[in-house]
Amino acid sequence: MATLNINGQTMDIGEIDPSTPLLWVLRDELGLVGTKYGCGIAQCGACTVHLDGAPVRSCQIPVGNLSEQQITTIEGLAADGTLTPVQEAWIEIDVPQCGYCQAGQIMSATALLNTNSNPSDAEIDAAMSGNICRCATYTRIRQAIKNAAAKMNGTAFYNAAEGGELA
Amino acid sequence: MKLIKENTLSPELPDFFQEFTKPTKANAGIPDVSRRDFFKISGIAGGGLVIGMAIGNSPKAKAQGSELSTLSPYVQIQTNGRVNLFSKNPECGQGIKTGLPLIIAEELDCAWEDVDVVQADIDATRYGVQFAGGSLSTPMNWMAMRQAGATARAMILTAASQQLDIPVSELSTSNTKVQHAASGREWSYGEFAELAATIPVPDPSSLTLKSFDQFKLLGRRFTGVDNYDIVQGKPLFGADTQMEGMLYATYTKSAQIGGRARSFNEDHIKAMPGVVDAFIIDEVGNPKGFNTATGDMFSGVAIVAESTWAAIKAKRELEIDWDLSNAETATWDDLVDQARAIQHSDGEPLMMLAGGPGASIPTDNPASKGDAEAVMESADQVLSAFYEYPYVSHAQLEPETCTALYENGSIEIWAPAQIPQGGESSAAALLGVPQEEAAERVVLHQTRIGGGFGRKLANDFVSEVTAIAQRMEGIPIKLQWTREDDMSGDFFRPGGFHSYKAALDGQGNLVAWQDHFMTSTMNDVTPMTSADLNASVFPMDVIDNVKLTQTMFKNAIPTGPMRAPASNAFAFTFQGFMHELAVASGKSHVEFLMDTLGEPGLANPENPGSMHTGRAANVISEVARISGYEQDDNEAGRAKGLSFYFCHSGYVAQVADVSVSANKEVKVHKVWAVADFGFIHNLSGAENQMEGGIIDGISQLFNSKITFENGIIQQQNFHQYPLLRMPQTPELEIAFLQPEEFSPTGAGEPSMPPVLAAVTNAIYNATGERIRKLPLYELGYKLV
Ligand code: FES
Ligand code: FES
Repeated sequence: MATLNINGQTMDIGEIDPSTPLLWVLRDELGLVGTKYGCGIAQCGACTVHLDGAPVRSCQIPVGNLSEQQITTIEGLAADGTLTPVQEAWIEIDVPQCGYCQAGQIMSATALLNTNSNPSDAEIDAAMSGNICRCATYTRIRQAIKNAAAKMNGTAFYNAAEGGELA
Repeated sequence: MKLIKENTLSPELPDFFQEFTKPTKANAGIPDVSRRDFFKISGIAGGGLVIGMAIGNSPKAKAQGSELSTLSPYVQIQTNGRVNLFSKNPECGQGIKTGLPLIIAEELDCAWEDVDVVQADIDATRYGVQFAGGSLSTPMNWMAMRQAGATARAMILTAASQQLDIPVSELSTSNTKVQHAASGREWSYGEFAELAATIPVPDPSSLTLKSFDQFKLLGRRFTGVDNYDIVQGKPLFGADTQMEGMLYATYTKSAQIGGRARSFNEDHIKAMPGVVDAFIIDEVGNPKGFNTATGDMFSGVAIVAESTWAAIKAKRELEIDWDLSNAETATWDDLVDQARAIQHSDGEPLMMLAGGPGASIPTDNPASKGDAEAVMESADQVLSAFYEYPYVSHAQLEPETCTALYENGSIEIWAPAQIPQGGESSAAALLGVPQEEAAERVVLHQTRIGGGFGRKLANDFVSEVTAIAQRMEGIPIKLQWTREDDMSGDFFRPGGFHSYKAALDGQGNLVAWQDHFMTSTMNDVTPMTSADLNASVFPMDVIDNVKLTQTMFKNAIPTGPMRAPASNAFAFTFQGFMHELAVASGKSHVEFLMDTLGEPGLANPENPGSMHTGRAANVISEVARISGYEQDDNEAGRAKGLSFYFCHSGYVAQVADVSVSANKEVKVHKVWAVADFGFIHNLSGAENQMEGGIIDGISQLFNSKITFENGIIQQQNFHQYPLLRMPQTPELEIAFLQPEEFSPTGAGEPSMPPVLAAVTNAIYNATGERIRKLPLYELGYKLV
C-alpha cells in the first residue's frame, strides 16, 4: 500500500494507478482540493505544490514516481493555524479576484521567498511567470511578494487594505 | 447633504438580461410582493428566533456558536453581537460577496469587524433575481441593500426602545451598538436581536437612508471576505465540491461542433480500470444557440469513473462514431475572405431591434439617421478603413465543473454558475419537472466561481451533469471538463468586421459616419448572441448623420457574452478609426474627441441610460492630464496612445505608454485609467476590476484568437492560446472621478474595452503603423 509525505504527515493513498498525476491524488483521494486543475499540461501553474521545497506542477508528476519526497500543498502552509507572511500579504493587498489561481501563485511565491528573501522585480517576474492569473491580479501579486519579503525581513511594508495607494 | 441619485441602467444589455432589468421589482432586487410582505415572509414565518450556527468566514466567527435572530433574508444577529449578512449574488471574482454586504453594513451601522458574510442560497422568493453579469450586481442592488440595512437597523432601534423603555428619538446607533446620548450608555445590537426579530417590518417610506457624507464604511478599501479561506486553499469553488460516495465524470462532445454521437467503443471504455459506466446522451434543443435556462445541450459520451483521472484516461481512448449531418462546417478564413471581398459594398440596412439593442427581433425601423451619404458627398475629407477581429475564448481558469445528486425524481446541484436560477430551470426542463414542483424537486447551491467572464452565464455544464446524474441515480456525480473541452466548447466572443467611412468638414469636425458591419447568424434573421451592432456606440450616438448596414454570414459557431459583450471588440475598431480621423482633422486627439462630444448632456435626451457627454469629457481630460498625453513627448519608437469608451453605464478613458523595437517587440510600460462609475463603494474592489480589465484587454489584443476549420475549433489549451503573464504586466495608475450625485455602477466590464485602442493608437504614434486587425501577433508584434 502506497504512502506519500504530505504537509508533514504520512498519508495512505491505497492501491492507485501509478500514472495518476499527483494533482488528482491530492484532490480526489486525499480531499486536498486547494491545489487546482487549470490546464493539465504545465501551462497555468494552478496545480503548483512544493516537492522538497521546490515548486512543481503537480499535474505533471505521476504519483508512481514519488516515494520519500516531502510534499507541501497550500493546505500545509498554515497547518498550525498561523498564516505565513505570504498569506498575510495576500489578504492585506486584497490580491484575489476569483481566487482560483491563487493557491498556485502563493506556492510559487513562497518557494521564491524561501530561497531569495529580497527578490528584485526581475526575479519575481521570472519565478512567477509559470503561473497564469486569468483575472490578471499580477500587479498585486508582485506587491504582495514585496510586502511578504519586508515582513520576513522585519522591514516596513504597506498595508493597502487600510487605505492609501498601492506602492 | 446630497442624497445619492439612482443611475438609469445602460441600454446595451444583452437580451437574456432584459427580463432581469425590465420590471422594477428586479431593479429593486426583491420579488413581486410588497416590501413589507417580503420581510414578513422571510423573517421566518412572522419573525421569531432561529437557532443556528454562524457560518462566517473569519476565524473569529468560526469559534462562535451562538443564538441567531433572523431579521430578514439579509440580516441575522447573534446574541453576542456578531452579525451575519447574506450576499445574494454569485461571486466570480467581481468582488460582489464583499461589495453587497458592505452596503447593508453601512446602513445597518455595523462595524465591519463584527460582520460575517454568508453566501445566500438560491431562492427567488427571498432574493429576487440572483446572477452575476452585465456589471449589474451593484447598480441593481444598491438601493435594495441600503434598504435592507436600514430596515434591520430600524427594527433594532424599535426593539431597544421597547426593551429599555427609552423613546427611539433619544437613541442612536454606531459600530453595531445602540447608544443613548443622554445617559452615555451603549448596548450591543445582540441584546435586542431576539426582540427585533419579532418587530413588524417598518414601511420603507419611514426609513431614512444615510447621506453620502455620513458613510463610514463605503468609499474605503476592503479586502475580500473570502480571502482568508482562499489563501489557505479551503474548499470554496465549484470544483471543490466533495461528497461521500461521489463518482467523477467527463463528457465528450463532437470536435466538429454539433455532431451527434451514434456509437462508441463501449466495451473497451467500460473495461478500463476505474470506469463505472459510459453512455451516450442525445442532443437536447438547439445547443449551438446561447442558452441559460432551457436545458439545451450537445450530444456526447459520458464516462463515469472512480476518479477524475480514470475518467480522463478513458476519455482519451474514446472512439466515437458521430452523425455529422447537422454539424457546423464554417471555416474562419473563409469568413475573412468573404468579408474582405464585400468591404467596398453596402450591406442590408441595419434595423433597430425590438426592445432596444441586444433584443432579438429586428423591427422595421432603420438604425441609420440623417443623410450620411449626402454629407459625405459634400464633405472636405472622407476616410475609410476596414477593421477585423477574431473569435476569442473566455479561458476562465476554472474549467466548467458541476456536481449533482439525483434521487427519486429530485435533484440537488452544486454549481459555479453565473445565472444559478437558470441552472435550476435547465435541470427542471431536462428532468421534466413541472414549474410548480421545481422549488421542491430542483435545488441548486451556488459555489464560488473560479472565473466567469460571461462563460458561466451559460448553463450547459449544469445540464450535462443533470443528464449524467439522472442516469446514475443515487450517486453524487462531479462533472469535470478538461481545458480542451472548455476551449473548444466555448460560447465564443464572436469575430466580426467593420467597413468604416467617415466625413470631416472644413474645420475638421466629424459630420457623418458609416459602418458596414459583417457578422454571423444561424437563423438569417438576427445575429448570433453578442454579435449584433449596437447603434448607440460612441460616436454614432452624438452625430447626426449615421448610415448602418449589415451583412450576416450563415454559421452557428456558438457565441455568447464575454466581459463587455460587443464593446470588447467595438472599442478597438471605433476608437482606432476615431484616432485616424483625429489625425486627419489636424486637431489634437483630445480636442477632436471633445469637439465630437459637444456640449455636456445626454447623447439621447429621451434615454436617461444613454451616454452623458460631460461625464465622458471629464474622464478623457483627466486621463490626458495625469498621463501627460498632450505633452507631445513622443519619440521614435516610444509614444502614448489614448482611447475612451462608454458601456454598462461606465465611462473609461485610458492612456498607454508603449515602445516598439525594430523587430516589433512591444513593451507596454504603463497604462493610466480614469473612470466614472459613479460613487465607488469599495475602492479596492473597483481598482481590482480596472487592473484586471486593462491586463485582460492587452492580453486579448496581442494573443487571443480562436479559429475553426470545417466547424472544428483549432485551439485546445493555453499553449495555443497564450494569456498574458507577469513579466508582460505594465505599471498601472488608476483614478476614479466620483460625481457625488451618481450611485455606483458596475466596474467589471467597462474597465476593459478602451485599452486595446489605447495601445494600438500608441503604436501608431510611435511607428506610423496603423493597426486594423487583431490579434497583433499575426502582424508580427510580440508583447514583451
Ligand atoms: S494544471 Fe498543472 S500547470 Fe495547469
Ligand atoms: S484570481 Fe482568478 S485566475 Fe487569478
